[in-house]
Amino acid sequence: MTTAARLSPIAWLIAPAGLLFVLFFVLPFAVMTAMSFYSGNPVTNPNAFLTTRHYERFIFDTAGIFHEALWSTLRIGLITTIVSLLIGYPLAHWMARMQSRLGHALVLMAVIAPMLTGIVVRTFAWMTILQDKGVINTTLMQWGLIEKPLPLMYNEFGTIVALVHIYVPFMVLTLTGVIGRIDERLEQAARSLGAGRLRAFVEVTLPLSLPGILAGSLLVFALSISAYVTPSLMGGTDVLTLPMLIAQQVGTSFNPNFAGALGVILLLVSLAIVVAYNRILARLAGGQGMA
Amino acid sequence: MISRRKALRAGAGLAALATVGAPSILHAQTKTLKITTWGGKWGEVMKATVLPAFEKEFKCTVSADQAFPFLPKLQVSSKNDPIYDVLHANSNEQWNAVVEGLVMDKITAKEVPNIADVYPYAVSDKIVGVTIFTSAIGLGYRTDKGLTKPTSWKDLADPKLAGSRGGYLIPVNSLGQAHLMMLGKVYGKGLTDLDAAYKALEALKPIKLVDFTGQMEKMLLSGEVSMGVIHDSGVYRYEGPNMQPVDFASPSEGVLALEQVLNVTPGSKVKELAFAYIDYMLRPDVQKLLAEAVWYSPANKKVKLDAKYDAKLLTTPEKVASLIQPDWKWYNARREDIDARVTKILKG
Amino acid sequence: MRAAPNRRPFDAGRAAYLTLNALLLTFLLLPIVIVLVFALNPTPYISFPPVGISLRWFEKFFGSAEFMNALWLSLWVASVVLVLSIVIGAACALALVRGNLPGRAVMTAFFMSPLMVPAILTGLALFQAYLLSGIGRPVWGLIAAHTLVAVPYVIRTTLAVLHNFDRRIEEAAAVLGASPMRVFFEVTLPLIRPGVFAGGVFAFIVSFDQFPVSLFLVVPKGETLPVVLFNYMKFDLDGAIAAASMVSILLALSVVLVLERLIGLKAYVKL
Repeated sequence: MTTAARLSPIAWLIAPAGLLFVLFFVLPFAVMTAMSFYSGNPVTNPNAFLTTRHYERFIFDTAGIFHEALWSTLRIGLITTIVSLLIGYPLAHWMARMQSRLGHALVLMAVIAPMLTGIVVRTFAWMTILQDKGVINTTLMQWGLIEKPLPLMYNEFGTIVALVHIYVPFMVLTLTGVIGRIDERLEQAARSLGAGRLRAFVEVTLPLSLPGILAGSLLVFALSISAYVTPSLMGGTDVLTLPMLIAQQVGTSFNPNFAGALGVILLLVSLAIVVAYNRILARLAGGQGMA
Repeated sequence: MISRRKALRAGAGLAALATVGAPSILHAQTKTLKITTWGGKWGEVMKATVLPAFEKEFKCTVSADQAFPFLPKLQVSSKNDPIYDVLHANSNEQWNAVVEGLVMDKITAKEVPNIADVYPYAVSDKIVGVTIFTSAIGLGYRTDKGLTKPTSWKDLADPKLAGSRGGYLIPVNSLGQAHLMMLGKVYGKGLTDLDAAYKALEALKPIKLVDFTGQMEKMLLSGEVSMGVIHDSGVYRYEGPNMQPVDFASPSEGVLALEQVLNVTPGSKVKELAFAYIDYMLRPDVQKLLAEAVWYSPANKKVKLDAKYDAKLLTTPEKVASLIQPDWKWYNARREDIDARVTKILKG
Repeated sequence: MRAAPNRRPFDAGRAAYLTLNALLLTFLLLPIVIVLVFALNPTPYISFPPVGISLRWFEKFFGSAEFMNALWLSLWVASVVLVLSIVIGAACALALVRGNLPGRAVMTAFFMSPLMVPAILTGLALFQAYLLSGIGRPVWGLIAAHTLVAVPYVIRTTLAVLHNFDRRIEEAAAVLGASPMRVFFEVTLPLIRPGVFAGGVFAFIVSFDQFPVSLFLVVPKGETLPVVLFNYMKFDLDGAIAAASMVSILLALSVVLVLERLIGLKAYVKL
C-alpha cells in the first residue's frame, strides 16, 4: 500500500459536509457555548454578565443530582448499546443472508417500522404493554406465574426497553450492509475445511463484521446518550439523565444558559469517548490489513 | 433658488419614495397578530371559529403558533421585535416571563374593557396578565374500585392506595408543583411550608409519576392508578357517550387554580390589536364556546353556560371562592432548589 | 437462473436460528400491533383490550386539513433531506477514507457529533442563530437543520462499508484499462451502494420523524407532522394520533420499498 502524505484530490469531497457543519453546527453552537458563560441572554438582556456559575453548578453539584445524571446517561447508553447489538446482530445476519428478495423486503420493513411510530404514540404503546395493568403483567398473572405485577415501567428497565426498541433498527441497518459485503464463500471455505457452522461464524464472519459492529455500536451509543423524550416519558423520576435535565432547563426552567453549559459538558465527554472508540476501530481495521 | 436639476431630482426621489411607500401603506391595512395557542380540541375550535371571526371583525391576520414550548422562543427573540404579540400560558409561566421583562406586568380595564366583568381571581395579584379561563386541580379517582369519593387531599396518602396513586414529575409539570405547595398547606403551615411538603411527599411513596396530564388520564382510564392529581377538565371531558368510570373530587381544603392567562409583549408593534384580542377572548359568547368545548371555567362573570356544564364548572362567586392561587413568583424564585430536592426524595 | 448457492440443511441449529430471529421480530413489531389496535379502537382514548373496529380515527386524520398539510410537508422535507444527505454524506465518507486527510479520527468524531447533542439543544442553537442573523424561520432553514442531523448516519454507514472494501477490485478495473472516473462510477459507487442506501433510509426516517429540532424551527401553518401530533396529544387523548402513526408508518415504508427497488440493499456485485 502506498503511503502518500499528500492530500488526494478526493479530499475535496469533504467540502460540502464541511460547509454544512461550519454554518449550521459550529457557528450556532459557538454562540450557545458563549451564552453558557453568561447569566442571561446578552443580546436581549443588557443586565447579563459573564460568569462561570453554570459550570460550577455542575462541577460542585451541591444539589447532588448532576454527577449522578451524567453517570446514568453513560450507563443507560452502554446497556442500550450492548442489548441493541445482541438483538440486532442476529436480525442483520438473517437479513443479509436471506435469499428471497421478498423475504428480505418484508424483514426490512419490519425492522424499520419501529423507527416510524412517532415518539409519543410509541410511549403509549409501551405503557399498554409494560405497566402494572399492561399486557405482560396481566398475562403472567393470569397464568399464575407471578403474584404481584413486575415493575417494568417508570424505571430504568422500561427506559432501556423503549430505547433498545428504537435503536435496534439502526444497529441492524448498519450491520446488514457490512455483513452483506462479506463474501459467503469465505465461510463456505471454512466449512469445507471441516469447521462447524458456529465455528465458521465465530472465526470468519464475526471478525470480518467487526467494523460494522463498532460502527453500529458507536451510532447507537451516541444516540442513546442524547435521548431525552423517551426517558422522560418512560422513566418517571427513577431516571434522570443529562439530556433530560437539559430539556427541562430549556422547556420548563427557562434557563437556556445552564442548558447550554450542560450540553457542552455532555458533548465533551461524548467526544472523548468517540475519539477513543475511533482509534480502536482504526487500529483493528489496520491490524486486519484492510484499507 | 432651487435649480431645475435639484427640483427634478427631488421630484424623482419623492416619486420613488411614494412607490416604495405605497405598498407599505397598503400593508399597514392588514396587520398580523402573532399569538400562541394550545392544540387538540382547543386548537380546533380556535382555528375553525374564533380566529376567523376575529380576523374578519378586526381586519387582520392571526398567526397562531401551536408548537409548545413558547417561552424559550420568546426568550431568544429580540425585545423590540418579539416573536409573539400575545402569549397564552399558565400563570406560573407568565411569572417566569415577566421576571425577564418579556411580558407586561399590568393590564387594566383601560386597555381591555371586559376586565371589568371578570371574577376577582382573574386579575388578582397572583396573576400577571389576564386570566381568560381556569380549571380546578383536585383528585381524579376511579368509581369502580370500591373507593369512597375523596374529601381531603390527605386521602391520596391512604395506605390502601400504595402503588396505585399518581402524581407528576414536579420539575416539569405545573400541576405537580401546585400539588407540592398544597401538601405544605394541608400538612403544614401553608402553601409556602416546604419542609412539611417534602415530608408529605416522602410519605406518598410509592407513587407513579408522569410527565403530562394526558399520561395521567391514561393511567386513570386504564386502571393503572385508582387516584391521581388531575384537573377537572381532564376528567369531565369523558362524558356522555364517552363516559368512563372516573370522576373528579374537589377536596375540602380547596382546589388549586390552573389558569389560562393571556399577556402582551412590551415590544409588540400591534399593541392595540393585542388588547383587542384579549378583550375578544373575554366576550361572553366566545367564552361560552370555548368553555363548553374543553370544559374550562370562564373568567367572565356574565357567561351563561348550558346546564350540564354549569353544574360542574366554577360559574358562581361561591364556587370560585374555593380556588386557591399559589404564589408563583415565590415558587419560581426557589425553583432550582425545589427541583433538586424533590428529585432526591422521589428517586428510587 | 443460477442454482441456489447454498442448500441450507433444516436442522436444530437452523431452527434455533430462525426461532431466535422470529422472537426478536416479535419484540420489534409488538408495539406497532398495539398502535394499530389503538388506531382501530372506536373508544376516544387509547385503551387495551380493544372494544371493536372502527375507521373513525383514520377518517378524522384524513379529514383534518392540519394533519394533511403537516403530513405532506414532512414527506417533502424528508425527501429533500434524503437527497442532500446522501450526496453530502457519501462524499464526506469517501474523503475521510481515501483523501489522506490529517486527523481523520478527530474529523470522524466531529462529523458524528450532532448525534451526541440532545436535539433540543440543536434546535434551540439553530433557532437562536437564525434569529440573530435575521434569517427567520424559512423552510430551507428547517431542511438544513434536518440535513445536519441526518448526514452523520450516511457518513457512518458508508464508512462501515468502505472499511470493509477490497480495493483490488478497483485496481483490477484500472489494470483492465478503465479511467479513474470510470472506476469510480462503475465499480466503487455500486459497491458502496448498500451502505449509502442504509444511510439514506436513516436520513429519510430521521427527518420524517424528527421532533425536537423541528420544534423550534417550524412556523404556524408550516408545522411538520411530529410537531402537530405532539401538540395535539398534549391536549387531547384519542385515537387520531394512533391513526396518524399508522399512516406515517405505511407511507414511509412505501418510500423505503421504492428506494430499495431503485437502489437496492441487496444489489451488490459478486465477482
